[in-house]
Amino acid sequence: MKKGSAYTPYLFAFLSLLLLGLAGWVIWKDEVQLRPWKAYQQEYKELKGAKLQAEYDVAKKEFDSNGNAEKLEALQARLQAAEEIFQSRGVQEKYTGLVGQLDIIEASLAQNQKKLQETRGKYLEAEYLYIRGQKEQDKEVMQQLQGEIEGLTENRNVLLERKSALQEDIGELTNEFEAIRAEIRSLHKGLDEKLMAIESNDRMSLEIRQIHIRDAGKADRCITCHAGIESSYRLSDRQPLTRHPAGFIFLENHPVSEYGCTFCHQGQGRATTSPDKAHGWVDHWTEPMHQGSMTQSSCISCHGDIEGLRGAEFISKGSKLIKKYGCYGCHMIPGYEDLREVGPVLAEVGTKINYSWAVSWLQDPKTYYETARMPKFYLSKEEAESIADYLFSMTGTTRRDTLYADEDIDWDLAEKGKAIWRQSRCNICHTTNGKGGNHTEIHAPDLSKVGSKVTREWLFNWIKDPKKYFPETKMPRYRFSDQELAALVEYIVSEFQDWDFEPEYEDPVPMKAESIEKGKALVQKYGCFGCHKVKGMEEMQDIAPQLRRAGVTFARSGEMEEKIGAELSSIGSKPVELLDFGKVKDKIPHDRLSYVKQKLRAPRSFRDDLRMPDYRLGEEELGSISSVLLGFTDASRPARFVVPSYAEIEEFEGGTESHILSGDFEKLERDIKCLNCHKIGNHGYNYAPDLSVAGSKLQEEWLRRFLKQPDIIRPMLKQMPRFNLDKQDGMIQGNLESSEIETVMNFFRSDLVTDDIPAFLPDLDDGAVDQVLEGKRLYDEKGCVACHQIGNAGGSVGPNLSNVGGRLTAGFIFKYLEDPQRYNPQNVEPKYGFTERERIYLARYLMSLKLE
Amino acid sequence: MKMFDNIKQSLIWKSMFRRDYKDTPRNRALAIFGNVFMHLHPVKVREGAVKLRYTWGMGGISLFSFIILTVTGFLLMFYYRPSVDQAYWDIKDLEFQVPYGIFLRSLHRWAGHFMVIVVWLHMFRVFMTGSYKSPRQFNWAIGVILLVLTMLLSFTGYLLPWDQLGLWAIEVGTNMAAGTPLLGFEGPFSEYLGITPYNDVRFAILGGSTVGGNALLRSYVWHCVALPLVAVVLMAVHFWRVRKDGGISGPHS
Repeated sequence: MKKGSAYTPYLFAFLSLLLLGLAGWVIWKDEVQLRPWKAYQQEYKELKGAKLQAEYDVAKKEFDSNGNAEKLEALQARLQAAEEIFQSRGVQEKYTGLVGQLDIIEASLAQNQKKLQETRGKYLEAEYLYIRGQKEQDKEVMQQLQGEIEGLTENRNVLLERKSALQEDIGELTNEFEAIRAEIRSLHKGLDEKLMAIESNDRMSLEIRQIHIRDAGKADRCITCHAGIESSYRLSDRQPLTRHPAGFIFLENHPVSEYGCTFCHQGQGRATTSPDKAHGWVDHWTEPMHQGSMTQSSCISCHGDIEGLRGAEFISKGSKLIKKYGCYGCHMIPGYEDLREVGPVLAEVGTKINYSWAVSWLQDPKTYYETARMPKFYLSKEEAESIADYLFSMTGTTRRDTLYADEDIDWDLAEKGKAIWRQSRCNICHTTNGKGGNHTEIHAPDLSKVGSKVTREWLFNWIKDPKKYFPETKMPRYRFSDQELAALVEYIVSEFQDWDFEPEYEDPVPMKAESIEKGKALVQKYGCFGCHKVKGMEEMQDIAPQLRRAGVTFARSGEMEEKIGAELSSIGSKPVELLDFGKVKDKIPHDRLSYVKQKLRAPRSFRDDLRMPDYRLGEEELGSISSVLLGFTDASRPARFVVPSYAEIEEFEGGTESHILSGDFEKLERDIKCLNCHKIGNHGYNYAPDLSVAGSKLQEEWLRRFLKQPDIIRPMLKQMPRFNLDKQDGMIQGNLESSEIETVMNFFRSDLVTDDIPAFLPDLDDGAVDQVLEGKRLYDEKGCVACHQIGNAGGSVGPNLSNVGGRLTAGFIFKYLEDPQRYNPQNVEPKYGFTERERIYLARYLMSLKLE
Repeated sequence: MKMFDNIKQSLIWKSMFRRDYKDTPRNRALAIFGNVFMHLHPVKVREGAVKLRYTWGMGGISLFSFIILTVTGFLLMFYYRPSVDQAYWDIKDLEFQVPYGIFLRSLHRWAGHFMVIVVWLHMFRVFMTGSYKSPRQFNWAIGVILLVLTMLLSFTGYLLPWDQLGLWAIEVGTNMAAGTPLLGFEGPFSEYLGITPYNDVRFAILGGSTVGGNALLRSYVWHCVALPLVAVVLMAVHFWRVRKDGGISGPHS
């Protein structure tokens, strides 16, 4: 090498080694580091192999211990003997001779078949020529060929007969040991299958596995690591080799091979190089995997109804909370568009409440009662007064408080009112001093301190006809006379007082005009009209009333109709970069879920000028609401996955199949609100029994009597209140005609019936048997008494059956026993799998139970 | 031995190996003359010209990057489909599923970035050593075109992963094209030519008025076929001109 040359052998050697090292690194990286699933699959394979081996060992042991080994030995000895006979010279000669004959016959059969095909071909040709040319000559050929075909066919039949005769002869020689072999095989079958399973597990190669959903363009490779997700074996409790939790709900209805994983779980289904990548927990992956209950938010993308959906309990709770708090009043939330405002009408609130109460309520509703739905707006006392002034100004010009002192109360009257309060079961919906309020599905205000809130006059008019003040209220109209009303009102104002309440204005004090003006502006700013009907603001939903007043015009007129809060219809897809974390930027993680939770936890923590009020939700509550909200995404899914809601089905079917109330009954229902507690079809609540098929289920006489005077079938707090539907019979005189009972009866008879339930029990032809006694025997045998009560004996989980024969129809009992969940999926009664005969016996027995 | 001689006398052998092994000046010259690649290379290279501190080796390294890009790009084409539905997922699959796919793609990407840098440095070196001067003016012009081609290759390749980065880069880039005088609908004087968003230069680049499936396909075809082809031809001319202009410029020429 010349001096001064730029290159030396050492440099070359170094670079070569470096290159070699790099190549080695690339191979290691790609084969090992970027394929972590190889180790998981290997582990799974080993676990499964061990499990299968253990199963085989157990089966083998059992096989041996059951004397099967001796059996097998005996069979093998027999087989050997049979084979020896077969191998003996005489038999062998006979056998080879027969097989030789069979070969000859099969050869001639094949030849015959070939000739037959040829002749048929020629016949078709001749037929074609004859049809075209109508030549006698062709017809002759046809006839000749026809003859040949017949001859050949006959020949074939002869040959086939001889063949089967020969086969029979051969069979006689071989049948015996073939039968023994089959017996050995069947004896071994279980073990062989297990061995095959072990072998196929050993053969399984380590590879990337995926579920390809063609129409969605998805390739989910999750099963590459989660090898045992669908397995029937519980091989490991450690990720990623566990089984899917509650697979009987989720996987049974959504087989992995059809639905993949990421429709529900999100994440990056294609990634296989690291758990973080696969789960989408990396920067810029917009759909990080949902964990735990949060996964339920994906149910929303396909299921129309999530409330009551099995496995979707968390979001179901969230959905109920959204309805309870009326989030849709200020936000556009898909699926919640047509619901009524949650707050009461404020048109004449000035005639209803005390001024001081209004001010303290506006500042913090929870100081009045803990379960108040209205959120805290963080108003100053001055602001609260302005709003109260504005609301009072709709009906008057002064501030005033009305307080009832002890000397104002007519205590005798109040005592009468107490009885009415109890009979009317006000406590089913309303809580008072920590009692009642069991019907949690509908919200009724806590009445513990209502005496300090409202005026006597208002209360009287309200109970008399709630719809007059608030047309959309859920409160039923009880048919009280004026005297009864006066007694009830007296009881309420005397009993439910806030002893700490101090009124500020016992005398009317005039209100200031500027305060009223300011109150109006505040009502507009915070959008009270989202939840309450405010006089003059019924149609108002725009986002910036101040701007509009200042003459600002909006480019798109649609903007004027937006709700006061942000639209939430695709909040689940909103890029994290677009969320304004503001002041909490450094305090909470930057992801969608943390943002939504923080918004619900402390709505104004992001910036100072935010308007969303504080609902003071618990962590679990805000978690479940968040999970619903994050379910509203832009993501598309195949139409075949969609499960429409009941409402959509109803709309589609034009309401023919569903129970929509009609006629006189509808009017009556609006008055007494049957559906506050009962359910008919998809309408109403689950507090009281479902009435969808009540017309077929209940006996008319019993129903009529029950409507007149409800008696106890269910525990006390679930007992139906007395609506005074029939003035002759009720303890309290109502204003109603007994014809109303007929209205209910007619509706039940015409609408709440199903062909599913037979009018009569099927006849049984078993003469001598006493069916009623047989039914009683079954009743005792199956332990029905554990839950049901007859007379004084039995449990109280299920309804009391002492008078079931006077209440239910036989057909209903007969159908119900077949599948107790048929008419109500939530029913707890187990399915016993009775035969039709048993169901008839039981029905006959139960129908014999009557109280007079 | 006899058989080997026979083979060496055959027409086939002679048509492939047209000279003898013997190390004679004639054979050396023949080796150059008879080989198209050697033909592009200067007949002789001055000692000063191969000094790293003078040339930085940038031209050669540019060529080397181009070769890496061609080989890896060719292999990538087996796994990539330029359609809106598939492009992004094919890139993801290169990472997650194709054996050595991530290595292939990373190599292509880094070599691409590297080539852009190297080509610029090459230009800089040529400028600073005054190698653009007579008689190399023509080759300088070729070099400028090659620089532009390198940039265009980089630009068109940017869109192909069909990710947010590429999408918005092309959005911005083509919006700049829309500002071209006369030819872009947002450029000055374009209104006199009746230029609209639907017939301007941006439309020609994108095959539409937004970055969509057509833009992706156009990028792909330019990136994989047209631009490399033109670049190869111009590179041949470039190297050949180096030889014709008296070899790589050195401190004394």
